[in-house]
Amino acid sequence: MCGLNGIFAYNSAAGSPEESELLATREAMRTRGPDGAGTWWSADRRCGLAHRRLTILDLSDRASQPMMSEDGNLVVAFNGEIYNYPTLRAALEASGIRFRTSSDTEVLLHLYAQHGHEMVHRLRGMFAFAIWDKQRCGLFLARDPCGIKPLYTANDGWTFRFASQVKALLAGGRISRDPEPAGHVGFYLFGSVPDPFTLYRNIRALPAGYTQWVDAAGPREPKQFSNLAAVFAAEGRHHLPAAELPDAVRTAVSDSVRAHLLADVEIGVFLSAGIDSGSLLGLMQQIGQCEFRAITLAFEEFRGTDQDEAPLAALVARQYGAHHIVRRVGEREFLEDLPIILQAMDQPSIDGINAWFVSKAAREAGLKVAISGLGGDELLAGYPSFVDVPRWRRRFGPFAAVPGIGRVARSLLRAFPAAAATRPKALGLLEYADSWSGAYLLRRGLFLPHELNEVMGQDLAREGLRRLKPLHRLAASLAPDPGSDTARVCVLEFSHYMRNQLLRDADWAGMAHGIEIRVPLVDLVLLRALVSAIQTLEPGIGKAALARAPVTPLPEAVVKRAKTGFSVPTGAWMAAASQHGKPSESVRAPKELASRRWSRLVLKGFASPVCEAHAV
Amino acid sequence: MTTACAMLALVTDAFGGRGGIAQYNRDLLGALAGAGAVCSITVLPRHAPDPVATPAGITQHPPRRDRVRYVVAALRAAFAKRADLIFCGHLYMAPLGALIARLTGAKLIVQMHGIEAWPPASHLQRTAVETADLVLCVSRFTRASVLGWAAIAPERLVVLPNTVGSEFAPGDRSALQAAWGLQDKRVLLTVGRMDPRERYKGHEQVIAAIPQLVAAGHDVVYLVVGEGDDLKCLEASAGQAGLADRVLFLGSVDKPRLIDIYRMADLFVMPSTGEGFGIAFLEAMASGTPALGLDVAGARDALADGELGTCVAETGLAGALARALNSPNGDGEVLARAVQARFGRQNFNRGACAAVARIFEPS
Repeated sequence: MCGLNGIFAYNSAAGSPEESELLATREAMRTRGPDGAGTWWSADRRCGLAHRRLTILDLSDRASQPMMSEDGNLVVAFNGEIYNYPTLRAALEASGIRFRTSSDTEVLLHLYAQHGHEMVHRLRGMFAFAIWDKQRCGLFLARDPCGIKPLYTANDGWTFRFASQVKALLAGGRISRDPEPAGHVGFYLFGSVPDPFTLYRNIRALPAGYTQWVDAAGPREPKQFSNLAAVFAAEGRHHLPAAELPDAVRTAVSDSVRAHLLADVEIGVFLSAGIDSGSLLGLMQQIGQCEFRAITLAFEEFRGTDQDEAPLAALVARQYGAHHIVRRVGEREFLEDLPIILQAMDQPSIDGINAWFVSKAAREAGLKVAISGLGGDELLAGYPSFVDVPRWRRRFGPFAAVPGIGRVARSLLRAFPAAAATRPKALGLLEYADSWSGAYLLRRGLFLPHELNEVMGQDLAREGLRRLKPLHRLAASLAPDPGSDTARVCVLEFSHYMRNQLLRDADWAGMAHGIEIRVPLVDLVLLRALVSAIQTLEPGIGKAALARAPVTPLPEAVVKRAKTGFSVPTGAWMAAASQHGKPSESVRAPKELASRRWSRLVLKGFASPVCEAHAV
Repeated sequence: MTTACAMLALVTDAFGGRGGIAQYNRDLLGALAGAGAVCSITVLPRHAPDPVATPAGITQHPPRRDRVRYVVAALRAAFAKRADLIFCGHLYMAPLGALIARLTGAKLIVQMHGIEAWPPASHLQRTAVETADLVLCVSRFTRASVLGWAAIAPERLVVLPNTVGSEFAPGDRSALQAAWGLQDKRVLLTVGRMDPRERYKGHEQVIAAIPQLVAAGHDVVYLVVGEGDDLKCLEASAGQAGLADRVLFLGSVDKPRLIDIYRMADLFVMPSTGEGFGIAFLEAMASGTPALGLDVAGARDALADGELGTCVAETGLAGALARALNSPNGDGEVLARAVQARFGRQNFNRGACAAVARIFEPS
């Protein structure tokens, strides 16, 4: 993990960018790359790139960034890992190209020189990078198809700026903090700010799977090079027989794990008592990783109870020969860390606390890289949403399709305020269940659109909804049609909840501790390999196949326990924190309502006029 | 580079028009026609009070003040020549432009200038702007304001600032001041309309600051160029303050005389709060005269964030003027070159052609 940023004064009316701004933005990302830092300026000083480095591949200074091509025509600043770098390098060397380093960064320079913007189709991995093209006097930006690595841009009409973090861009001091209503509405709807919006009108995310070109004529609209729905639509016509599922999962996940083990430093693993991380650990051992450490986050509140994940995680670690580290966290440590958590949180999120503490534990253990099981539930239909969303569509969709019925039902149900207060989303079933996007919004929604007036004021809510177009945005991610109920929910989960919340949380929480979190279950090659299997996947079957992927399958106790699930006390801590620090045992609220209270506290931590006006 | 074949320009005024918007439209359309970025341009103005002379490649219809006739003429012109690019020279034209673009399948450009684009637009205008392929804005402030009310991809909003011709160049200030009988005076200058609806230009603030400057030892003369219904009011204001001999209202002047006046001034000052860009700042600085304005709205762009001119806060104008008059005038030639380097015709023409070309880039 690293941090990159840059400034390009593309409009001839603009003054040359200042070094102090470039450095201020870069240094706001110090924790992303504690091992080194660099800057580069074009000869006319109209474009500057900067980088903070976390050394993982080629630890030498030769691989420092920004890195220039031998002929001086290209300069790259890169965050991420290119997992197929050895293959790409071999092919480039076969065509006569000489490498100066053993880093994956250099591959980007040679690929761009050979293939231009089309280079992105050859990359496997997580990446966000910027390449300065001296001959075309322009800047090329790209972000990986799954959105694992972030990249934010700001354009004021004269000068284009970009960075790995929103707060880093703001630290440069030249970008307005005018609020973006769509970002605020999006946060209250989903619990995280949906790409490409941020809380600020002048800062946008480069969407996952997009490139962008900037030259003297200004930034062009981002171009999509990868579309998850299209992957299903193109490769999902063939449905894999159920009997072939275990082999398919074993082969594809093993391949992804192998690719994700590319590093010149030790790789650890975040080990819970669930199937995803345990299976990955098993495959790591099977692939030949000999010595590795597994970090398990456990909670003081659950010590000695059957909610404690540590014993089962220890069983898995023992089975696969990992050195097991259990890091226990309690409410007191949470409250102590809360100010720095909110400071490190790049954009507001109602989650990320687990990611914060497990990354903290990894840092304490001296790790730089950790494998995470994030993405398993999205990939293999592990979430309740894979059952709920299609069911709600079937049961309530025909009624919700009747114009106006939702609003009428909502008015009637208001006669029962107690029910409305405890199960607010039930009121939306007859309003939203007539479409996939509506049903998904109901499943993942924090607040529903009709509730926003009370949360944030009518004008801001109306303008935010108009700009965000949440249902349209969700529906757009399903084009072309992925082809089956499971595939649709898979695409929705990948494109929204996982991308905007889980992956973003993993980035800021890992970054705050200088930990690169790798996610072998979030991989386009893996997804493509399993598309035909996912089309017909029944809930539970995919995760069972994953549990059996290692030659020595996960212990039966883990598989059984995974079915009933674990709870974490962080929700109660968050609810307590948002109730002015009352102890968590005295705060009783359904999880959903606790999240709502927490969301207001989180937003309060983001200094903007809108936040301050509307936060509790 | 893919170019548009036929462009229909819906404008308030352009060739034969007066004021900043007409000037901008002439500059833009002339740049596109001159560089061959479009094959032909048909201009439909609402007003054209002065004699019309159009460059090669541009045809201008007679002005039509009547709205209905204007709309009919626009529709007929669009279909007669099958325009593939519609240019709306003003936000007010955007709904008509969007309608024609929709009917003909043409691309749509909407031009945003200043205060008309800052408050939220009407529903009809906003909807039209949101369908535009390109929104040209004269300044970063105007661009940011439009982004505040329009749900449109930010990349479609491009800043193409006003430009200044090479005829605005430094001259012999001392000789000009002597010729005007203003030797040994400190000459302040404002150029702009004096419209009761546009009191944001700040003439009154400058007049109010003069006694303080005189008290500080500056033998100030304030020249005011321009016309408008507020002229009488400002004259009365200067008279009441006992400054009739120090504030000279010159009315409207022709371009050669205007250039001389710019060259003669010691300081161009326009504490305006409502400039979309403020082309007069550019003209003054290109003529070698230092400029002072407020750190507000589009004036920031013309003054290049203080790199070319002086940006000051709204409060304390008198102090800022005194400081500026106490500072020795810099090298006018250096200032003029710096202005041309950023805002010269060459950059403008290149920017205009590049902006139009990107509409036709493959997506």
